[in-house]
Amino acid sequence: MAGASTAVPAVVVRRSLAGQGADWRGLIFQGLLLLSVVITLLFLFILLADVFSRALPVFTERGGSFLSSSLSSSAARSGVIQGLFGSFVIAIIVVIVAFPIGIMTAIYLEEYAPDTRLTQLISINIRNLAGVPSVVYGLLGLAVFVQLLGPLTGGRSVIAGGLTLAVLVLPIVIITSAESLRAVPQALREAGYGIGASRWQVTRSLVLPSAAPGILTGTVLSLSRALGETAPLIVVGAVSGYFSTGNASTVDQLFGRFTALPMIVFNWAREPQQSAFGPLTAAAIVVLLLVTLSINAFAILLRNRFEKNW
Amino acid sequence: MIQSINRRLWALLIAAVLTLTACASTPGASATAGSSPSVNISGSSTVQPISEAVAERFNEDNPGTAITVDGPGTGDGFELFCAGETDISDASRAIKEEETAACQEAGIEYVELKVAIDGLSVLTSTENTGVECLTFADLYALIGPESTGLNNWNDAEALAQELGSTTDLPDAELSITGPGEESGTYDSFVELVFGDIAEERGQEEATRPDYTSSANDNAIIEGISGSPTSLGWVGFAFAEENAEVVREIAVDGGEGCVEPTPETISSGEYPIARDLYIYVNKAKMAENDALVAYVDYYLAEGVIDSVLEEVPYVPLADETLEESRSTWEGAKAGE
Repeated sequence: MAGASTAVPAVVVRRSLAGQGADWRGLIFQGLLLLSVVITLLFLFILLADVFSRALPVFTERGGSFLSSSLSSSAARSGVIQGLFGSFVIAIIVVIVAFPIGIMTAIYLEEYAPDTRLTQLISINIRNLAGVPSVVYGLLGLAVFVQLLGPLTGGRSVIAGGLTLAVLVLPIVIITSAESLRAVPQALREAGYGIGASRWQVTRSLVLPSAAPGILTGTVLSLSRALGETAPLIVVGAVSGYFSTGNASTVDQLFGRFTALPMIVFNWAREPQQSAFGPLTAAAIVVLLLVTLSINAFAILLRNRFEKNW
Repeated sequence: MIQSINRRLWALLIAAVLTLTACASTPGASATAGSSPSVNISGSSTVQPISEAVAERFNEDNPGTAITVDGPGTGDGFELFCAGETDISDASRAIKEEETAACQEAGIEYVELKVAIDGLSVLTSTENTGVECLTFADLYALIGPESTGLNNWNDAEALAQELGSTTDLPDAELSITGPGEESGTYDSFVELVFGDIAEERGQEEATRPDYTSSANDNAIIEGISGSPTSLGWVGFAFAEENAEVVREIAVDGGEGCVEPTPETISSGEYPIARDLYIYVNKAKMAENDALVAYVDYYLAEGVIDSVLEEVPYVPLADETLEESRSTWEGAKAGE
């Protein structure tokens, strides 16, 4: 195999030195690569152009009222404020539940746990968990957060939804954090131990600061994954129709029924009056895109802020 | 530099953990969250737009009442209703015996109120010029339990004629798209169109199993418009919304061909029409004033009529609505 792979360049070199023909295999390969890029960009462009062109009239006609209105059976009065609120609360719950638990699990597995069969088994299982379909997490959330812990979470509430999504992204947070911890050069740790630092000191002062950019990027990307999920929310019981909260305070609303941006997209796409709700669906997609894009931009900012070269 | 970053990181972590514990301790404090007046509605996705529009108007006058309207389907709605989880169950058919039994077992009594009528439209593609009107016998021969395997309209003619139909069915490919078994629209169609014929012939009251089914009405419309000689059925409201891509076929229920229109559906002339209901939990009426006020408003003079101008269903005949009102008044007096 090694002989064959060196033989090709040798032929190529000889040919090009002799002025014979071009490296056509290389050219085909390059062409295929370019084609892949074009196809990827084409689909992205078609999707964005379609969504934005259909959403534009909504934003020009409705303006801010689309963002500040509640759900309604009439397309002209419908808006996404309840979805924005739900998605915002879900994001906060994911940040305060999944991030610390996930990052600390990763630190333990990478820095503290002995490298035994058991540790490897746990790591492999966490990887598998990241591949479990999201609707399965929805069923878990329904059984645990809605039914078992119903008295604490308020049943089919935004808290139950947020906790479900936090559990959903937990494996992703752990994996990305573990990857960034593993990328920290071993020499750095050895240098720390060499000057007599304890494991805690090495982890705190050397490993974590150096892994921070990667950890932050990974975790914030997992947050945008959580915000885009619909299936678990359907199972947990996000409202599919109309809801009003009456006199409930913001705290009470956390324990009441909820909806989120992807749920709104899903429901509007099912509305019978597609001539009216079609553009609204596109507009809600744009809002969801903007929210996730701004979260990703925030992740990049954080990474640049903390990035260091060793 | 390292020191300052890592202080910040730890401050962040500690803050997160603190918020977490604070969060975990609040539920106890607000365990009485349900104290503000609330009405919880679930059930048929067909009735959902009506209950939604009524809820919206009700909230304009009573902003203090929290109302939730869901639409998982009539059957799922009754399951929640008979478990005592909802105050009102929307239904696109009358409650079934086994559902009544489940409610009784759980000790839940209810009031049944008719609120509107929905027609079911039989559809084909706008490109299909071969079919103008179908009888129940034709529909049974095309979609009924004995039609399994047929993929040409003409192949159904023999059975249709045996059942007394004289319709000329075209020699064209037959592709069927309709709602799935979980849907109230499926139940109503099978019961209204196939009920008598299936009983006579000793067949199961069902459709053929080999057709494209979807729970999403827009997907059904897409399926029907996607093939030039398609056949399918869907709620009248959906059909009217999509008149550009699908065509409604007139239906003969034994008294001549009738086109579905709001008038023919309301008068009962159009043969495939069903009543839409709301079921109200009696025990919850007693303890929840907001629920009573909401249903009062639902049935108040002019409310449903004005809602049905926006939501494309057909109003009940005046006497039927009057019946619903007196049933409701009776239920209130009975408490």
